[in-house]
Order: sequence, then C-alpha cells, then structure tokens
Amino acid sequence: MKRIITISLCGLLCLLFINRASAQNITVKGTVTDSKTGETLVGVSIAVKSTQTGTQTGPDGKFTLSAAPTAELSISYIGYATQTIAVAGKTDIDVKLVAQTNELQQVVVVGYGTQRKLDVTGSVVQIKGEEISKQSSVNPISSLQGKVAGVQITNSGSPGASPEVRIRGLGTVYGNANPLYVVDGVWYDDISFLNPNDVESLSVLKDASSEAIYGIRAANGVILITTKKGSKNTKATVNYDGIVGNQVITNEFKLANGQQYATIINELDVLGGAAQGRYADPNSFGTTDWNHQIYRNALITNHNLTVNGGNDKSTYNVAFGYLKQDGIVSTNTFDRYTLRIKNDFELSQYLKVGYTLTGNLNQSRDIDGSIFHQTYAAVPIVPVRYADGTYGDPNDFNVTSSAMFNPQVTLDFFNQRSKTYRANGNVYADLKFAKHFTFHTSLGGDYGQGAVTNYSPLYTATFSQRSTKSTLTLTNNQTRNWIFENTLTYQNTFNKDHSLTVLLGQGAQSYRFNQTIESAENVPDNGNGYYLSQGNNYKLKDVEYGQYPLYSTVSSYFGRVNYSFKSRYLLNATLRADGSSKFSPSERWGYFPAVGAGWVISEEEFMKNQSFFNTLKLRGSWGKNGNMGVPAALSTLVVTQNDGLIYVGPGGYTSPGANITTIVPDQIYWEKSSGTDIGIEASMLKNRLYAEVGYYDKRTDRAIFDAPILSSIGLSSSSGSSIISNQATFQNKGFEFLVTWKDKIGKDFGYTLSGNLGINQNKVLSVAGNNYIDQAVNTVGSANINTHTVLGQPIGQFYGLKVVGIFQTPEEVAAYKKGDNQIMPNAKAGDFKYQDVNNDGVIDDKDRVVLGNPNPKFTYGFNTAFTYKNFDLAIDVQGVAGVDIYNANVALRFGTENYSQDFFNNRWHGAGTSNTYPSANIAGGQNNRSNSFYVESGSYVRVRNMQLGYTIPTAITSKLNINRLRVFVNAQNALNFFSYKGFSPEVGGGATRAGVDANVYPLYATYNFGVNVGF
Amino acid sequence: MKLYNNIITRGAAIVTIASLITFTGCKKSFLDVPTQGAPPATQFFVTADDATKAVNSIYANLREWTEVAFAPIALESLGSDDTETGSDPSDGSVAFMNLYDSYTVTSTQGQLLDFWTGRYKTINLCNQVLDNVPNINMDANLKARYLAEAKFIRAYEYFRLVRAFGDVPLRLHVPTANEFNIPRTPKAQVWAAIEQDLTDAAGVLPQSYAGVNVGRATKGAALALHAKAAMYQQKWSDVLAFTNQVMGLGYSLFPSFEQQFRTNNENNSESVFEIQAELVPGNAAASNSQYSQVQGVRSVNGGGWGFNVPTQDLANSFETGDPRRDATIIFRGETTPQGDPIPASVPNPMYNQKSYVPFSLWQSGFNEGCQQNIRVIRYADVLLMNAEAANELGQTQPALTSLELVRNRARGGNAAILPQVTTTDKTALRNAIWKERRSELAMEFDRYFDVIRQGRGTEVFGPRGWKANKNEVWPIPSTEVEKSGGTLTQNPGY
Repeated sequence: MKRIITISLCGLLCLLFINRASAQNITVKGTVTDSKTGETLVGVSIAVKSTQTGTQTGPDGKFTLSAAPTAELSISYIGYATQTIAVAGKTDIDVKLVAQTNELQQVVVVGYGTQRKLDVTGSVVQIKGEEISKQSSVNPISSLQGKVAGVQITNSGSPGASPEVRIRGLGTVYGNANPLYVVDGVWYDDISFLNPNDVESLSVLKDASSEAIYGIRAANGVILITTKKGSKNTKATVNYDGIVGNQVITNEFKLANGQQYATIINELDVLGGAAQGRYADPNSFGTTDWNHQIYRNALITNHNLTVNGGNDKSTYNVAFGYLKQDGIVSTNTFDRYTLRIKNDFELSQYLKVGYTLTGNLNQSRDIDGSIFHQTYAAVPIVPVRYADGTYGDPNDFNVTSSAMFNPQVTLDFFNQRSKTYRANGNVYADLKFAKHFTFHTSLGGDYGQGAVTNYSPLYTATFSQRSTKSTLTLTNNQTRNWIFENTLTYQNTFNKDHSLTVLLGQGAQSYRFNQTIESAENVPDNGNGYYLSQGNNYKLKDVEYGQYPLYSTVSSYFGRVNYSFKSRYLLNATLRADGSSKFSPSERWGYFPAVGAGWVISEEEFMKNQSFFNTLKLRGSWGKNGNMGVPAALSTLVVTQNDGLIYVGPGGYTSPGANITTIVPDQIYWEKSSGTDIGIEASMLKNRLYAEVGYYDKRTDRAIFDAPILSSIGLSSSSGSSIISNQATFQNKGFEFLVTWKDKIGKDFGYTLSGNLGINQNKVLSVAGNNYIDQAVNTVGSANINTHTVLGQPIGQFYGLKVVGIFQTPEEVAAYKKGDNQIMPNAKAGDFKYQDVNNDGVIDDKDRVVLGNPNPKFTYGFNTAFTYKNFDLAIDVQGVAGVDIYNANVALRFGTENYSQDFFNNRWHGAGTSNTYPSANIAGGQNNRSNSFYVESGSYVRVRNMQLGYTIPTAITSKLNINRLRVFVNAQNALNFFSYKGFSPEVGGGATRAGVDANVYPLYATYNFGVNVGF
Repeated sequence: MKLYNNIITRGAAIVTIASLITFTGCKKSFLDVPTQGAPPATQFFVTADDATKAVNSIYANLREWTEVAFAPIALESLGSDDTETGSDPSDGSVAFMNLYDSYTVTSTQGQLLDFWTGRYKTINLCNQVLDNVPNINMDANLKARYLAEAKFIRAYEYFRLVRAFGDVPLRLHVPTANEFNIPRTPKAQVWAAIEQDLTDAAGVLPQSYAGVNVGRATKGAALALHAKAAMYQQKWSDVLAFTNQVMGLGYSLFPSFEQQFRTNNENNSESVFEIQAELVPGNAAASNSQYSQVQGVRSVNGGGWGFNVPTQDLANSFETGDPRRDATIIFRGETTPQGDPIPASVPNPMYNQKSYVPFSLWQSGFNEGCQQNIRVIRYADVLLMNAEAANELGQTQPALTSLELVRNRARGGNAAILPQVTTTDKTALRNAIWKERRSELAMEFDRYFDVIRQGRGTEVFGPRGWKANKNEVWPIPSTEVEKSGGTLTQNPGY
C-alpha cells in the first residue's frame, strides 16, 4: 500500500517536472479491464505518448496520471493488443483491452490459477466456450471430439449420457479412466449437469506436470471448466439462444428382409440335419423393417436464456436452460432444466467474494437396454401387429425360443421413468493483502438425488412376452460431496526480470453415495401412480448386497512455485500430498511432485532480428499423479451376505445366509502415473500460423491388476478367480500435433484452418508373474474369451482363433489333418477353418492369437471457421484410425434370430460361395468361438459439425432494440465414413471390455436451426 | 485504511490457521472412514446367529449354477449312454457340450473349470464353518450338528471331485497364503478324508428334522453317502454295513415312481438327501436353481433350454412295460401326467422327466422349475447298493430281497411286468443289479461314473470313443494347471 502511494507520488512529481511547460495538465483517472470478461487488469502500463510519463494500474486495475488534455495515452499489457486513446480533455478514461489473437499470448486457466500460455511449461489446451456451445451437444465434453490432440471422446448417443473420455490413452484397468473435471474450483467425476451454454472456457491439462497440482485424481488428465460471469459496468444484457433440430439415423445398417430370413433359416435347418427347412415358401413372406419400426426421427429443442451485467463493484450472470431431446428409440424422451446463478462482489479493493449455484433437473422416459440387440435380431417375417390389432407373435412363425420377442412389445411394456435432481456450486472469497499476497478460500458442494421408477405390468402380449404379475421397483440414490480448499498466493517481480509466483494450498474433500432399491409385486396399476404399500412381497435390496453406501474422504496439501527470468526462462515446480480414506492407513498418503521448464527462444537477443517467429517456445516437464478412482477399502475383508446365500426350506421358508467367500489383497496402494512431456510451440508469420508439436511418455506404475489365484482355494474376488493388487505398469506414449492458420483476405473474409493429430501407443509394460486378464464380452459359450490383457500388448486387445478360410466340402474337413489326426473332426462344410497355431493337431484355446486393438492409434480433427461479412461458417471433421471393433452382434444368437443383410449376401451356402463368411450356422459348432472374422476395423472419419450462420446487420436490428441477432443452421454427424458392419463405429466400453459391439446406440445425425438474440 | 488492511490481513491469517488446525488436528479421524456397506469379516463368526447364517450359506450354495446346471451335466451326465446334449444345434452351447458326449474335450474347456471351481467354493464355505464355528460360544448340541452338516457337504463335494478328476488338492482348512498352491493329493487319501468326514457326521447328525429344517443333512444321508464312497472303492463289507444301517432308519420307497419327482412330493419317505429349492416370492435371486430350467422342454413356456436329453439307447434299455420308461422320459408329442401337452414341434424327441416341473408353476421373472428339489440320494439307490454289496459278498438272498423291493415298487401293482429276479448266479445277479440301477437311476447323474466304477467303460462307452486309461477321469482345467506353475499335474492322455 505504502509503495503504491510512493510510486504514485514519484510519478506525480516526475509529471510535474517534465511537463512543467504545460501548466494546463489535467489528472486522468480510469480502470483497465478485459474487454471480454470485465476482469480488472493489474500492472497495465499507461504511457503518455511522446513523453517519458507513465504509470501502471494498481491491484484494483485503476490508474491515475497527469497528462495534457490533448495528449494520447498508450495502454499496453502482455497478452493484449496495445490501445491508443486520445485524452481529449476527459478526466475519466476507462479502458477495455482486447486479448491478443496470438495463441501464446492468451491467458489460459491452469490448476488453481491462470497463466499466459507462453508461461506454461506443460501441455495445456484451452477451448473457448463458444466453440462448445456452437455444436449444440447436450454434454459440453461431447463437443471436444476432434478438437484437442490426444483426447479421445466416445459419445454414446443416448440422451443425457456422458461421453467416455480418454486423455492420452487408457492408463488404468480397475480405476476410473475418465479425467477429473474441475468446474469453478469444485471437483466432479461427471458433469452431465452442466449446460454447454454456460461454459466460458475449458482447459485440458494433458501432461503430468500441469496435472500434478490435482495429484490424487489427476492420473487420467484434468479438464478445468470456467463458467460464464457477468461483465463489470455493463447494463443488463439478455441473450437468448435456441435451437430446434431433427435427429435422423445415418449409415443405417440393413438387416435381412422376410424372404432372405426364411431362406437363410431354411439353410440353418438343413445344416442342423433337417431334411428340409421349416419355411416351405420363403417368397411368401413379407418384411417387417424393425429398424424403422423401433427407430424414429426425433426432435431436439434447446432454449437458453442468459441475463448478465454488473456495476463497478459486482457482476451477475443468471442462465436458464431447457433441453428436450427425444431419443431415436420411439418411446425414449429426455428433458433437462438447468439454472445457474453466478454473483461476484468486490467488497473492497482487497476483498472479493462470490458464489456459483447450479440447479439441475433431468427427467427421462427410459428404454430397455436390450432393445438395440433385439432390433438387430428380431424376426422380420413377424408383423408388428396383426390385422386385429394384437401384437405379431413370433411363436406363430415357428421360430426358436431365443427369437421369440417382438421388439415393439419390449418397448411398450417397459415402463421406467427417471428423475435426477442435482444442486451444486461453491462460495469463495479472495483477499489481497500485503500487496503481493492473495488468500483464496472456496467451499464447494454437490448434492444429488436420483429416483428411478420401474413398473412392470401384468400383461400378455405374445406367447413368450407376458408377465404373470406386476412388479414395482423404486431405485433411489443420493450423492453428498463437499470440497473445501484454501490457497495463498504470493506474486512479485524483482528487478523487473525475475518474476515469482508461489502457491500454497490445503484442502479437504468428502464423498458420499448411497443407493436403495425397493420392490414389491402385484402392485395395482390404478392410473395415477404406483404404491409399494399396495403390493406384496416387499423387498429392500441394498441391505443384502452390501454395496452401498460409499463414503470416502481426502485431505490434501499442495504447493507450486513458478519462476521466470525475463519471460525467457521458465521454471515450475509442484508438490502435492494427498491422504485418502480408501487406502489402508500405512499406505494412505501419496506424494506427487512435478517439475517443468520452458525456454522462450523468441525472447533471446539472437532472435530479435528475425520476423518469421513471433514467439517460439521449447518446453519440457515431468510429473507424478495418482488415481484414487478405485473402489474403497479393497483390502478390507467383508462378510458376504446376499440372496444367493439364503437358506430355503419346505413351504418357501427362508433364513438369511452369510459367509466369507472372498479374498482380498494385503494392501492396496495408489495407482501412480508419471509422465514426461516435451513440446515446441510456435507462433509464426505475423501470428497467422500457430504450431505445436509434443511428445509424451506416460506410465501408470503400481497399476491395479489381476493376480490369479488358484480356483481350488474356493475364494474369489470381484474379478472371479483372481485377486487384484498393485502389480502392473501401463504405458501410453505418443506424439501430438496441432497446426492452425488464421488469416484475413481483404476486409470481409476471415478464416481459420486447424488440424490436430494424436498418435498413441498403449501397452502393458510390465506385470508381476506374467499375469493376464481375460474377459468374455458378449460372446456365447463357456469361457469364450475375446479380450486378453497381457504383457507387451495393449490393454484389452482382442484375442481368439485365426480363421484361415471356410470349409467348402466335407472332403476339405477330412483333409485338414496333422499326420493321421483330423484337426477339426466335428466341423462341417460352411464352418470356419481355424489355424492350428501351436501345431498340435487340435483346435483349442492354445491356438488363440491377437486379433486386434480396441485402443485407437490415431485420433484426429480438422476444424475450420470462415467469416464473410455477416456470414460465418464452421466445418469440423474428426476421426479415429488404427482401431478395431469386435462385432459380437453377428454371433450373439441361440437359434433363429435374424441376420444382417450383409451376412445374407455374403454367406457360404454351398461349395464355392464364400471363403470368408461362414454358413448360416455361424453360432453353431465351433463357429461362435472368438475369432478373427468378428474383428473389424473401427476407423472412421466424420463431418462432426457444420454450421452456417448469418448475423442480421445492426442497421436493421438496432431499430428493433436488438444488439445482436444471428440465425444459423447446423448439422452434426451428417457425413460418416467407415467400413464397420454395424450401427455405429463408436463403441466404447470399460477397460479390458472395450470395443465389443453387442448393443450400441445407433449412429444418428442432428440437423438444427438456431437463433442467437442479444438485447 | 491501514487499520482496515490490518484487520483483513489478520482475519485471513486466522482463517488460514484455523482451517489448517481443523484439518491437521483431526486428520486421523477425518481419513479413518468405517467400512461401509458390509460388516468387516472380523465381526463375523462371533455369535450363534453367525454360525447359523454360515451353515445356511452352504446349503444355499448347493442350488447354484455350477452345482446343478451345465458343469454337472457336462462332467457327470453327458459321458453316459443315457444322455446326450440336446437343445437346438443353432444354440452356441451345444458344440462345447458335445465335446463331453464324444470324449473329445481338452483341458481348456470352460465347464471343467466351472465344475472344479464350484466344488471348491462350497468346500470353502464348509471349511469356514469348520475352522471358525468351534470358537463360537453357543449351544453345544447345535454347534456339533452344524459342524457335522458342514462335514457331510464337504464330503459330498470331494466325492464329486474325486469321481471326476481322480487326485485333487485336498483342503480341509481355510488356506493361509502359503497353502494356496498345493499339489494334488492321491485319491486314496481323498477317499479317506471323505470317509472320515462321513463317519464324523453320521455320529452326530439326527435321524430326521421337523418343520422348516427338513432337508438338512441327516444321519441316513451321511451313511448312504458313505456307502456310496465305499462302493466306488469296492469296500463291499462297508457298503453292506452302511446300507444296512440306513435300512434300519425307517425309510421306505414312495409308492409312485413318477410322483416322487414332483414338487408336491419333495422330502418324502424315500428321500435320503435332497437339495432344497424353492420359488421364493419376490426373490428371484434366492430362487436361483436352474437344474430344471436347463433340462426343461425347449421352446415351450414354462419349459426350459432342453439340454441333457435322454438317448434312444436309454429308451430302448427299459424292460418291456417298465413304467419307469415313461416316468423318466418326456416324449415329444405326449401329454404329461400333469396335463402339459408337449408339442410335436419341439426340437428334441425326448426330455428329462425327473427334473420336470409342470409348466403352469412357472412365474415370469423366475427360472423355470426353480422350485424343484434336486434328489441327490434316494432310498432306492441305497437298496440297490445294498443288493450289489450283498451279492459281491456272496449273500445272494439279501441281495435278491433288496433288488425286489425296488422292482416291486416300479411294477406299480402290475404283476405282468418286471418279473422278480431269482437268479442265484453271482455274475447274472450282478448284471441284473447293474441293469436295475440304470433303469431306476437314469438321468440322475449317476450312470457315467457307475459304468466306469463297474470297469465297463470300454464295453459301454467305447463305441462312442471312450478310451481306457484316459477317460476314467476328466482333464484338470488348464488354467488351474498354469496358475499353479507346475505344482498341479495333468491327468494322463490330456
């Protein structure tokens, strides 16, 4: 305080001295703010042109100086465009600085603070809110698809569902593989409550050193989200953004029609030994197109209303959103209401307080998850309904019991509604004191409540689709989390050249979740609600399952030092210590150090004389992070008590049973990931070209992995006949590229072209005792393993037998021999011929080989934006490559389910008809064994987003008292290119089970019309 | 201004310090979160109620999938000449089930591991009780009974293991970490352990129970299983002694052969040991037996999946007019005695009638036939063991008496069928008893090992590919051998 006054006095004296000729000098006062955020800017240089006079803005962003009434002020600040303003006799001059377009000059949000991108020593990518809201996605993270190199997003398509996010590959098998989300300082695992329209900016921390400040949960990356706030000294502005759109299935996957179905089922019968097929005249059948029966074009509408503004002491932002998204499955609906209020107050020059409050209500009418596979497998010769209005009954069409479903019945009698209420937010206070210190305290909370009502009525629809009783099931869950954090920041510059920022922090977190499931039978349907009390056989499930509640706590201490010399040499060191209740006391605390260094080459003397590079930076960092997203107390042995252990006796007598059935590891530790990151960032050719190249090597050490135990000990863990312990190392290493070209042609045409590419290699680097994890994901048959996670290979790679052809004749089966032994004695013509890999004359599990990789090697995006006069156009292309899908749909059959048209057209149906596709008996014999036929390329390219907008000229809108009026049309996922033979190449799935398609949401495109209005 | 600044500075310092104190001061308690959801194991095996629950869990686990469904069908039934895979050839499970029918299974096939794991899981439940219940302070009689029940079921599981695999790891305690990887125990020692458990159990278990406890292990069950264990070792005098003891306990054959397998006649006078299964309203998970479902008539509502179906060879094997043929086999196109028409369109010509539950008893949301008890040992089996042992020991008359008891009931009052066996020739009588076992116990998961025990594997199963010195036992599951790192050896020929 004293010092500011001293400096000001000095300045004043100087002014008096220098400008002694100009006796008419006036005192000019003002505040410098960011033109966008309204944030006051500290340390901005204000110089009176053609003089030596100048000053800087104080901690409150204010300045005072003396200048001639005719003088011109030059206002400059790092990261902002320099402005020249004529004093013109005014004594109050408020300046709004515009952030510069150079990527590296931009201020990015980093952990517990902000930094110029130029000063960041790690890999941080910031995406602006408008890029997200422009895509009209329901979840803000969905819009990141193709935007950030090294970030893989898998959108499920289901209304309200959160996407799967993998930052720099998959680094865990048992932990949460999604990144940590931090919204305005509060930590979340899932941000489906957040309206994309409320996002101001979104920062992706990709490298271990940037993430380390979030130690405990940072191993899979961190996404920092800042929500919009009001601008200071702005009158209330009202913005309305709305869209209405149509969701349409694209790249529809065709299924066999009625005649084709009857033909191929007849073939199946003959292959099964029948003299002739069951359908005398295949041509007599019509076709029910179940795709078109079950799926529809669905409406989506989204309305957002925002009011914001502020005076010189406070700002406010109130946003209300309503989204109504119908699912493409005909009974599926989803409604979301979001309310967000953000208020910031400057109580004094030193004290700032504020809060954010979010309220969210989601409600949906749900669908039976099996509907997608049912639609695939439904028998096409069965009508939806008969002429008399009753349901078409597969039983009337001589099909096997496994195919006895009419998907329309499944939809009509699935009666489930979900409601989720969520309230969260935080309050904070910022206190500046002793000039260089800021104390920040924040208390955040997240309260959620969900209720799912499922009523299965008493009904008889078809022979096998009926229920002899009604069942009401109520699921209630509750989330109660809080996070309290305090940080103290010291910021100072010594001798002009040495800039130092020190952050010290402390925090505590608590997470609680509980779920109860109640059910009753024979509950009457009286048309206005269902009551457990009206039924019988009441049951409360949670008690027996012992799964819930969940409760864990975290205590943390952290610190960071940033030092830069002449903005040329950058150093950064972080240390975080976290204690988590999830781990046994002796292993409770984890320590997460990180260091980073940067060299801004363009600031060197020898670079002064070149004009190619505007900025050029080389950076490198190393850091360590933890993943506490593992189940709690894994090493605590608990009693097993469940319904399967209930003693039953004569007359339906029951008595609870319990025992010790599990085994636990002695101890479970943190999963720790450490990563090295090297990058070059350059802004070139008058800031028109920006490029970034990075290399990373990220390892998860002590990763939790299965340690097999002998089945004969009779104990199992959650993963079956193995226990889990910290014993593997996973590696993700790769390169990331980003190139952006931004320019203008003439006055009216501006454009941006930006491409990014991430190359990742995922690998199990080491594992104790050569252990492995096998999974049979949606395969039929006992222990029909199709994923195999093993040393030296990617996590969850596909695994199985290798198809070398199709047996064309029984003679070929007989001739397939080793010595005198027939290798596949039970095979028939039309069956897969498998390679006897170990050459032992038998085909069994020992012949299995690697078939494919569910982890994409390449993820890329190409994003463009064009403006011409009042028109704007954006086209975003995105894709993945070097990835495989296990198409489990094909063999997921038990009888006379339908086939795809592709299968029908290409199937083997007699010698010489196909040497790649088997006969109709694809699920019989050894044909359903996991094998190379089921593994297909999962690569795709898509035009993720196209948007054309037109802003009505202000000359017109101003007459209507409208500040801004823009209309636009938008298409999402309109064009998709892939060879995969299924509904969608976006499959997803948990670690070691990923990429197996059995029941995925069909791919659809969305066509929107929208309007943005500002008053 | 300065004052104000000071206040704020101090305030901030106080808040910081206070918050640090708050969280460092009670750091320990803040991070020490009690075990959630389920009680820690340290709180179990403390009270008599815990002992009851633990013993309950053993019985409950006997209903479980690997106990009564695919794995037993694969290893204990399909190898026999009575049964074949059944179901529909387009069902993906048919192919691997066929491997057991044709003796071409290799050690990697999943049902081997399922059978192995399933037996040992139940053995663990028994060992938990046997290790921990003795330390519980509770009624001494009840405690002794609980321990005897656990021993009976442990013996039952080892009996099934030793029949299927020969030498197996013998675990009579909950293993500590250094006991996880142990080699196979020679089968003689496994048999000895089985016999010891059954001797112990028979000495304690009551002859019968009342009310809801009906179905728990009895003295008769322990003796009968002991007789069977002795029979597999050809200890004929033991077989005779144990069966004679059982015959003194008041069992009698149920009048109707067909009716004894229906749900309303469970735990009848002939029942020596039955696994209890019920349809518990509102609780499908406790009604989890799939025994009848997997064998039920395929493609009818309330039926099942149609696995483990009778062979034509079995149908042909019955003596002319033997009512047991119709009571054992559901023929396609017939109407069951309970009035269920079996459509001619169902995929298999025959189904198991002993596991059959009338279709009308099915409730949606439940496994078909989940209420059917699994008949493990019937008194008829005891009588036939008695007859066989007596004949082997040269006591022809008692042998003929026991055999006739079984044939007489089968006759159902029709004197024109199943003439009394009167031969006194030892070999002829032995063959008659063996034939009677097949007719009486068909589809009851006994025939395959019975034939092997009789030394007739090559004779009976040889034409279908059975090979002596290999197929007497199944392969040890390969993953288990691999996990043991060489401690477990594989059976010869696999």
